[in-house]
Amino acid sequence: MTGIMQDIKFHDCRVIEGSSTSIVLDNGKIEEISRNFTRGAGIRALCGGSWGYTAIEGEIDLKQGVEAASKLAFSMNTNTPKEAVELAAVNFPEMMNLPEIRIDPRDVAIEEKVDLLKSIETNAKVKGVNSTKVMYLEAEFKIEYRNSEGLECAYELQNVGFSVSAVASENGVYQAGRESRFGYGYELFEKENVLELAGRAGDTAVELLKAKTPKGGEMPVILDQELAGVFAHEAVGHASEADLVLEGDSILENRIGEQIASPLITIIDDPTLHEFGYYPFDAEGAQSRRTEIISKGVFNSYLHSRETAAKLGGTPGNCRAQGYSMPVVRMSNTFIDNGDARFEEMLEEVRDGMYLIGSRGGQVNTGEGIFQFNAEKGYLIKNGELTELIRDVSLSGKTLEILNQVVLVGNDLKMTAGRCGKAGQLVPVSDGSPHLAISKALLGGA
Amino acid sequence: MYDLARKALKLAEKAGAEEAEIYYAASHSTGVNFKKDALESAKDRFSEGIGIRAIVNGAVGFASTNSKIKLENAVEVAVAEARVRENDPDWVCLPSNEKYPTVSGIFDKKVEAMELEECIGYALALVEGTKEFPGTLPTSGGFTRAKGRQLILNTNGIEIEEESTAVSGFVDVITVNGHTSTAYDFAVSRSLDIDFFAIGKSASQLALKSNGGIKIEPQKTDVIFHPFAFSDIIEEAFSPSIDADNVQKGRSGLIEKLGEELAVPELSIYDDGMIEAGIETSVSDDEGIPSQRTTVIEKGVLETYLYDSYTAGKAGVKSTANGSRSSYTSPPSVGLRNFIIDYPKTDVIADTQSGIFVNTIIGAHTANSISGDFSVEARNAFTIKDGALDKPVKSLMISGNAFELLKHITGAGFDVRKVGGIITPSIRVSDLSVIG
Repeated sequence: MTGIMQDIKFHDCRVIEGSSTSIVLDNGKIEEISRNFTRGAGIRALCGGSWGYTAIEGEIDLKQGVEAASKLAFSMNTNTPKEAVELAAVNFPEMMNLPEIRIDPRDVAIEEKVDLLKSIETNAKVKGVNSTKVMYLEAEFKIEYRNSEGLECAYELQNVGFSVSAVASENGVYQAGRESRFGYGYELFEKENVLELAGRAGDTAVELLKAKTPKGGEMPVILDQELAGVFAHEAVGHASEADLVLEGDSILENRIGEQIASPLITIIDDPTLHEFGYYPFDAEGAQSRRTEIISKGVFNSYLHSRETAAKLGGTPGNCRAQGYSMPVVRMSNTFIDNGDARFEEMLEEVRDGMYLIGSRGGQVNTGEGIFQFNAEKGYLIKNGELTELIRDVSLSGKTLEILNQVVLVGNDLKMTAGRCGKAGQLVPVSDGSPHLAISKALLGGA
Repeated sequence: MYDLARKALKLAEKAGAEEAEIYYAASHSTGVNFKKDALESAKDRFSEGIGIRAIVNGAVGFASTNSKIKLENAVEVAVAEARVRENDPDWVCLPSNEKYPTVSGIFDKKVEAMELEECIGYALALVEGTKEFPGTLPTSGGFTRAKGRQLILNTNGIEIEEESTAVSGFVDVITVNGHTSTAYDFAVSRSLDIDFFAIGKSASQLALKSNGGIKIEPQKTDVIFHPFAFSDIIEEAFSPSIDADNVQKGRSGLIEKLGEELAVPELSIYDDGMIEAGIETSVSDDEGIPSQRTTVIEKGVLETYLYDSYTAGKAGVKSTANGSRSSYTSPPSVGLRNFIIDYPKTDVIADTQSGIFVNTIIGAHTANSISGDFSVEARNAFTIKDGALDKPVKSLMISGNAFELLKHITGAGFDVRKVGGIITPSIRVSDLSVIG
């Protein structure tokens, strides 16, 4: 083993201990209360140009873990040697700015949580809704990081949130409305008007029953904050992740300094914000920091891990992992910055087109720069006015074309919490935007 | 932790559980990944944990842990949670011991014994395969082998232990010259019967063939879905509606449709937990119900929904052995086993005068899982002219409804693939709306 260890230039460990609680209330009945206690570690070792990674659950012998990861790295490097990986330097992160928590969810009795869910459900069950589901999630965890360079740091974080969905049906047509909020501290349920949100989920489901599916085609469009945020994250954010760039799987490769978007567009990733993607340091112990991905239309920066920062030149701080998985380059809180347009101006600008609201998810191909997102609902815009409610509309197109066809950026930035699933690992993120008006986009409908 | 499973069951009874269940799962996986054409990392993952279901007065509590030290606490929490809940009149009981089928092909000693060097060899085969067609580069991919062990114990006498193995390979390819096009291919199996070189080769070939796509006019046309594309639609837009839990809660598009003609009479669909070497094959489901073959659609007619033991108890029927868990951290819910799409096979492309062939789709998960409506972006799509693939199509949106789709199937290919648990040939559907 000593022989191998001489060739291991770097190793690090993340030990994570935590617990989570979930409660599911389904059609008025508690369907699930579950608690989960976990402990585990993820250990990396670097030998030449090869990484070895070991993930262990339960009781952990770190020394043994480092040896196992080192063996993997050594063996990989022996079998397929390649150029040595360099790592950009990191300093001890400053531990400041952790979200303040006024009410620890663990101090709230489970009965009280169940009562809260029941009142959320009651509010979602507006006339016409025939099925509801409310989920409560709470998690707390402690992360300890240390590496062979002597860096050691740790933090504890807890988060809490809920989601509510309502389904309405009529003549064999089913439509759903959903709302969710995630944040820090049980006071979230005081700050957010959760009962009103629940009502909104119910109303959406009922309204959508009457909505029409429009004819698709190319036309001007307004995106609401949530859908535009999904675009910022999926289409632009992923393409700016330096690991994808190095794989040759990004349209943003070699574009730094170029005008790639309308000058109205500034896109930022900022893990220091107390949104759902917050972290004080990343999975490599690098201090979290704000990155301007696009500044006034000019592509400014990729998002980096220590490895990609050394290769492409840049600053690390965006390397993240779900639990004990191997960290990869990820976003945090990603958003299009505020402009100055009002919504009325956008309606005037678009005249005849569609207003798309909310997101039922989407996907991108970062290599080809194309994307597809489904809106939750929308309105037809006729003569500069919102008219008929519509559903089952999707937006697709080329990322760079859309970025250049943004003609107005609103002043009403709003963030939405979610989970991003890159590399099969879910991590908490948020994304957002103000309203955007786009001169031309491909909409799919009936 | 394995040694503590039986103790945990006793602890649960002692803590006041009227019924209890211990679900133990362990796995060890080794993966070798590449970025571009260079191997990047080797990963070893050891996972082991226990999930406890405790029932008190017809109410269920659940807790899980991967820590021996926390196990006793987790058992107590599960029982305490059950006490907090009101009696659930729909709860019947945990499954009891029954006769179990014999299944085969799910454990391969060779996979269990694989060394890292062999894994590296298969990862390299994926990369080498892509080089058969110059002009492309892999972007990422990898080889993984895994061995799992699971133990289900409950207070009604169930005690089922099983070991299984799996290997998989995945590769993403991009063209390096001219217009950019991408493609991927993957395969998963219980044993080392996959030609990884061929997987790399086919991804590379598909990326090249997709280069320089044309734009097509919006139209209604015949669309042939490759097994990758068709399985995606089935999983996201159709299968949620045959989940008995969704049916019972009013969230299915197939409520009160049993016995109805749902699809063309040539189509049958089976859910089968027992097929040789299936990815979802095992002696029992994840709560100890003996695996079985269930006819979901027989000659176009919807025969049954799929049940786990809870939803079956609620409906007063027998479980179809579809109790499924993604991990020891979650209680069981209804999930597909091996899901087999059966339709008379022909040389389906050769039989098609004009239409579109779609290899993969993106955005299937955005489908409306209740109404079955979907609107997806087709990838690696081609026009079909006079019974052969003609030109690549640049960008294509396909909108439709999964239930309508089943009524408009007009053909299937010989190219049956196991896409995870879904086993399907290419499927041709008439009159679908596409927007280029």
